Amino acid sequence: MAELTTLARPYAKAVFAEASEKGALDAWSADLALLAACVADADMAKVLVHPSLTAQQQAQALTDVCGDKLNEAAKNLVAVLAENKRLMLVPEIAALYEELKAQLQNTVDVVVTSAFELSNEQADKLAQALKAKLQCDVRLTSEIDETLIGGAIIRAGDLVIDGSVTGKLSKLAEAMKS
Amino acid sequence: MQQLNPSEISEVIKKRIENLDVTSQAQNEGTVVSVSDGIVRIHGLADAMYGEMIEFEGGVYGLAMNLERDSVGAVVLGEYKGLAEGQTAKCTGRILEVPVGEALLGRVVDTLGNPIDGKGPIETNLTAPVERVAPGVIARQSVDQPVETGYKAVDSMVPVGRGQRELIIGDRQTGKTAMAIDAIINQKGSGIKCIYVAIGQKQSSIANVVRKLEEHGAMDHTIIVAAGASDPAAMLFLAPYSGCAMGEYFLDRGEDALIVFDDLTKQAWAYRQISLLLKRPPGREAYPGDVFYLHSRLLERACRVNPTYVERMTNGAVTGKTGSLTALPIIETQGGDVSAFVPTNVISITDGQIFLETNLFNSGIRPAMNAGISVSRVGGAAQTKIIKKLGGGIRLALAQYRELAAFAQFASDLDEATREQLEHGRAVTELMKQKQYAPMSTAEMGLVIYAATEGFLKDVEVNKIQAFEAALLSYANSEYAELMAKINVKGDYNDEIAAGLKECIEKFKGTQTW
Repeated sequence: MAELTTLARPYAKAVFAEASEKGALDAWSADLALLAACVADADMAKVLVHPSLTAQQQAQALTDVCGDKLNEAAKNLVAVLAENKRLMLVPEIAALYEELKAQLQNTVDVVVTSAFELSNEQADKLAQALKAKLQCDVRLTSEIDETLIGGAIIRAGDLVIDGSVTGKLSKLAEAMKS
Repeated sequence: MQQLNPSEISEVIKKRIENLDVTSQAQNEGTVVSVSDGIVRIHGLADAMYGEMIEFEGGVYGLAMNLERDSVGAVVLGEYKGLAEGQTAKCTGRILEVPVGEALLGRVVDTLGNPIDGKGPIETNLTAPVERVAPGVIARQSVDQPVETGYKAVDSMVPVGRGQRELIIGDRQTGKTAMAIDAIINQKGSGIKCIYVAIGQKQSSIANVVRKLEEHGAMDHTIIVAAGASDPAAMLFLAPYSGCAMGEYFLDRGEDALIVFDDLTKQAWAYRQISLLLKRPPGREAYPGDVFYLHSRLLERACRVNPTYVERMTNGAVTGKTGSLTALPIIETQGGDVSAFVPTNVISITDGQIFLETNLFNSGIRPAMNAGISVSRVGGAAQTKIIKKLGGGIRLALAQYRELAAFAQFASDLDEATREQLEHGRAVTELMKQKQYAPMSTAEMGLVIYAATEGFLKDVEVNKIQAFEAALLSYANSEYAELMAKINVKGDYNDEIAAGLKECIEKFKGTQTW
């Protein structure tokens, strides 16, 4: 996993540079998402790692599946990846690309896991507070996990703010044990 | 099991609940990618610092040792059986700390300072980080006070000063640990606090050491840090550093401490294991590139510091006192090979070494010290006057004896002077033998060495020398107690004392009781 990210980084950077030069950030986003979805498919994965197929055949297979939705540049990317036997990296490349894009646009994806559904008001308030703390635009996604009992856990990349009742209880349990 | 006191327990629980901080804090989190042989790879944890504690699920901690672009490599401190791929790992923002203080004296603790002697929790609130940068040049003072090991051979020929690093090196079964344990026993009443760090030893050996120290009443001034052979490599690797942190507590407060690392070879092995598992490139003997730094940064922390430093560290509470941490690292060689990687490193770092040799040990010379190649580079300045004055002749006599003994094997008839020298050398060699757990005081050493250098042993048969010594000492301790006490207090040597010693020996020889 960690190694895959490292391998995918130069590709993601190259794609990002190309995209920002041409001003086609969103188009690339869509293309990469499509490719990632294709590669993630189990049957497709079999084809992509099949030893008896040549790089060209694998690239062809992938572009064929995507049909006419890919632009020329994306097809070239697939060809390059196939040549280097890195087709399986596409999901990582897509993820890294999205990260780079978010960095450029100064936005961050935040996942809020709460015990109960957040009201719009609560979500707005939370977004405002996080915007002030993280100093960038926040894209909020909310999830519901009833095992938290109450409160919420906020995740922004590696940063985790645990304000859930379960978290507090486990802290209490640990303090008792030590 | 002890009776539980319900009110006490409730008190404790109440206090804990009061002190509990439940405010949610922002934390850096990562995911465990792989767990193998005590090494954990973590994805994420972008804010992890080198040497930071990492918290895993279930209250297990690790130490961040490899910071890479997309992952962090950490060693697990303790049991890693419960860890699994996909679990979360959190940054704690703290570096590894161990409890320190007077409360640790008399206790046996593990690398993390947890008591393992079944005597209940350790009553101290003080902690210190295990890794610390050694005091700089400004804070230091030269070594000029002795650490008496109680061994005639060591104190007269390779003296150790407070704040010195003296290596004890030798093959297995040559008495390395025995020498260090005797040095600890001899510190009873000297005010020097001792720390014995057992690295990678059998639990039975550690238990033995503890029992022997207790028998000789030496546990009261001793802390034992034990990382046994079955402990994870990370514990073995860290044990000397945590022992050192416990010793630095005394150093910082203007006191004297002695630390024994038994032994650093095993620590280097543990570090090699960790490094190889972390995929750091192997170098000579498969050790990683920084194995020299591993030992140099540890041994550099043993030093003598000046009163200004002590005053600063105690915020002015202790003034006009110097502090010291004396280190006796032990290295085990394989087949007497001192040119292996780790022995050469440690020899070059320390301020001298005591070589113990198998053939000497087997021929009955115990301590099996090779006087020719054992040196102390700074201890001379710290020797007590009487031993310094009298002990000079011992080294010379032994050196001449070795040279002549080799030569005399071929010549049958020797001239008078040569034979006399040989006899004297033989007598001194015999005199330097000393039993385990029988450390000697300065006065006893002075008396015995005086007898040897002034030729009082000429008419004593070589095989009677040990009996002579024992009888002489008991005679002097009962009949000349005043003189002995006087020497022990000041350690001076002058005409008056010399005359006293001479009189004592002459009178003793008059009794003919050996």
